[in-house]
This record gives sequence, C-alpha cells and structure tokens, in this order.
Amino acid sequence: MSRAEVEVALVEDTYSTPTLMAVDAFQHSGVSSNDRFVSLTPNRQGQGGPRRTPRKSLIVVLPENHVVSPDLVAGRLRAQGDYEMDVILAYAGQSTSIAALQRQVRDLQVLEAPAGTSSEDLRELAMRQAPGDIVTLLCGTPV
Amino acid sequence: MSAKSREPESLRSREGHPLIVESLQLSVIVSAHNSSATLSEVLAAIRSSDVPRDSYEVIVVDDASTDGSVAIAARYADTVVKLTGRQSGPAYARNRGVELTGAPVLAFVDADVVVRRETLPRMLQILNERPDIDAVSASHADTSGAQNFVSQYWNLLLRFGEQRHTSTSAQFAPGCGAVRRQAFIAAGMYDEWRFATACLENVELGERLLGTGRGVLLSSELSVTHLKRWDLLSVFREVWVRSRLLARSLGYSRMSAVAPSDVVFTLSRALTPAVALLATLMLAAAFVPAPHASAKVGAALLVLLLTNLPVHRFYASTRGFAFALLSAPLHTLVEIVAGVALCLGWILRDVFGDVSPDATTQAYAEVGHEIWPPVPRKL
Repeated sequence: MSRAEVEVALVEDTYSTPTLMAVDAFQHSGVSSNDRFVSLTPNRQGQGGPRRTPRKSLIVVLPENHVVSPDLVAGRLRAQGDYEMDVILAYAGQSTSIAALQRQVRDLQVLEAPAGTSSEDLRELAMRQAPGDIVTLLCGTPV
Repeated sequence: MSAKSREPESLRSREGHPLIVESLQLSVIVSAHNSSATLSEVLAAIRSSDVPRDSYEVIVVDDASTDGSVAIAARYADTVVKLTGRQSGPAYARNRGVELTGAPVLAFVDADVVVRRETLPRMLQILNERPDIDAVSASHADTSGAQNFVSQYWNLLLRFGEQRHTSTSAQFAPGCGAVRRQAFIAAGMYDEWRFATACLENVELGERLLGTGRGVLLSSELSVTHLKRWDLLSVFREVWVRSRLLARSLGYSRMSAVAPSDVVFTLSRALTPAVALLATLMLAAAFVPAPHASAKVGAALLVLLLTNLPVHRFYASTRGFAFALLSAPLHTLVEIVAGVALCLGWILRDVFGDVSPDATTQAYAEVGHEIWPPVPRKL
C-alpha cells in the first residue's frame, strides 16, 4: 500500500477499533507522521482519543470478615512500574483494612456493600466502576 | 480433586498474578464476545478444575461485548481485558491475553465450552510427562449442551471427524487446548491478521506448531461439552465460512494433510466420491432407455447414502436409526454448501489472493502506530 493510500484510508476511517487520531489531528498536535506513537499521555475516563498503553485497574474485594495486606496491594502497584493504575476497594459490612489501604494507595476508590454481599457480587459491582482496559481482581483472605 | 480446590473462593483466592505467584503453572485464557448466556457456566467449570488454585489463573478477554459479559467475567476471572470498538476475533483476543501472562502453559477455552474437572489437569499431566508434545487439545463430547436436533447433528459430525482421525491427525482442535508458552511464542502466536472470525485459527496454529517441529496431540481421551445452540442457518454459515476460508487462505490440500479431522474435510471427502459416482451413473444412463423418474431419484439417493455410509452409521450407532434417517437430508445440504464454498474459495484465491484485513487496518499496521487496543499484527 502506497503512502497516499495509507493516508486516504486513515482520513476516510469510520472504523472504531483501534481508536486512532485522524491524520490532520496529529498534524495539529505537533506529532509528525514519522513518530511511532500518536499520544503518550494516558487518558482519563471520559476523554476521547488514542492511547499508547492500556489503562489498568486493580479491584480489591473484601467480603465480610476478610482482610487484605496493604503491602500486597502496594506490591501489585509496584509491579506495574510506570503504569498508572486505578485501585478500587469493594467491601461488605465492616472492614478493618480500609484505613491502612488508604494510607498506602493514593486516590483509593471505596465501594461499600451491605453485610453478607458475596465475593462474586462485590467483584461484579466493582467491575462496573472500573475504568481500566485491563482489570486485575484481588480477593482478601478470611480473618 | 484436591482439598485445597474444594475450599470456598475466599479461602483460596490468592489471585494468580504472574509477577506475584511463582508457582503459576497454567494460564487459562477465555475470549468472549456476547457470551453472557454461556460464560458463567464455562468459567465456573474452569474454576472447578482439579488444579490447585494457586497454580493457575483465569484471564477473560472480552472482545467488545455489548451484553454484559464483562460483569459475568468479573465474578470468576483473575484478570479481565476489555477490548473496545468492533469485534476483533478470538485469535486477536487470545493473543492479548497471552501478552499478560508468564505462565509456562497456556490453555485456550472457548466461551461456549465446558471443561470437565479432569480436563485441564490431564492436559498439564500430558505436557509434563511427554516432552515430545507441545500442544494438546480435547475433542467434542458425545452430547452438546443444546438439545435441539441441529446442534446434536453438528456436534456429532465434529466428533465423528475427530474420532476417525485422532490416531493419525496431529491437530490443535478448537474449543479447548493447552500449549507450552515457549512453543506458542516460537510459532508466532495466533494469526490475528487473517483470522478475524472464530474460524480455523486453531487448525492454522496447529499447522505452524508442527512446522516448527513441535508435537501436537488431539486427544480422544479428553472431551469437552460445547454449549452453543446451532440452527440451520448458523450451521450453513459456519460450513460456508470455514470451507471458503480454508480454500482461499490456507489451501485445501496443504491443510488436509495436517487437519484431516476438520469438518470441511469430513464433508468434502464424502462429497467428492458422491459426485464422481453420480456423474458415472448419469453417463451410463445415456446409453440405456430413459428410466422412470422415481428410478433416477432412487439412484441418486442410493449414491448419497452409500458415499456417506460411515457418517450415517456413526449417527445410527450413537443416536439411533431415526436420528440417522433425519440427519441424512441435512447432511446432504451441508455437503452441497461446503462444496460450493470450497469452489468459491479457490476462485477467490486465484483472483484476489490470500485474505487480508480491510484497508484501514492495513493502513494502521503499515504506519506502525503503537496504540491500545493494538492494530492486528501480521505474522
């Protein structure tokens, strides 16, 4: 395919996946067509446009009488390296892990469910809130 | 089943992340597209496998579903990948799942396939005990999840092909298969460039594994239940797509040597002698006085029955004479669809060449932008 054909195809694109910036858009952004990446900034939810890397979320599930080690969560976050990661804690009833987790994790999103809510229901609830393209689920251990 | 895997999820849920759990042996990757009707049963069956919970992880790659499959996946999976936009196909989705794991063995389970408790551990055992085998897949069970006639017919047809060729065929069958990660990567992973639909991507992968000197086994001992409900239209469409794609993209003769148990070969092998015999009879009829119309019909039916005798006998032995009788006209129609599609595939191959993605995808791939989700990659 010639360069001209490539550009025609890009401009005429009505294709939704992968979501890419049209040629004129990245010309205005200052990114040349020879650059390998279109955008280096991970988008927040609700912002359109292309992303170079997937957005990642970590869901921590704590059914009633379950705890999670903040160090374990921190370890998961460290393992992601430079990736930005949203962390969501979904718990049922009372949880003793929240304060410690909030100290470890900046911008922790907390979802509270009624006591007795099952692990599966907590997972599903949290997934509906998770903005990530790749979502890892971590379940606590019983007290 | 080990005592550990009988424990409630909360007790055994040290979620398997490749970077955290060193004992991770197996990564089960399920690609799903609008699979809410079956996904729960499929994932529950995987989680009930006789494999210690710490030693495997479940990754569900949701291929742009719009039916809530993601929420169902979240109930059972360790990792959920959400692909957005339009459907990219299981080859693409499974490759994205593989990129997230470091497990030495990868198992691919379709979102409408229920494994038995022993399926995954037995696959692991085969790979552990036989260094000459790098990929092992399971065959179709006797019964399908859906009880309607067409589903039973189709399931048995696939099983017939697998049973007939398991001793000779080294095929990586669709549905459920496990492969060593190293072999999978060395073979180039799934061909996400050409296989944008759920069709023959496993067979093609099996061929490449064999081509790199890897051992591939289609096990008759292992069987899995397919839940998908088939109707006439979906069976005809499946046969049409498989046959056309096979002839156009892969080459019938090349693939027939590698995957003789595939349904296309099961169908076309019976069709070819049937057509030859019918042509001979018609030629002979030219030299005799015109027979009665019913005699012509009778001769044609007899030819079809005789050429498909092994299939009909298989149906009769597994489901009874009435089922075999009912399936005969359906089987004839399916064979005709396969024959026409194969011919069309050959013509398209000669005129247009191999299948390739649409111009937009090719353009993106050529420019080489790195984005998420990635542009389909060429082998």
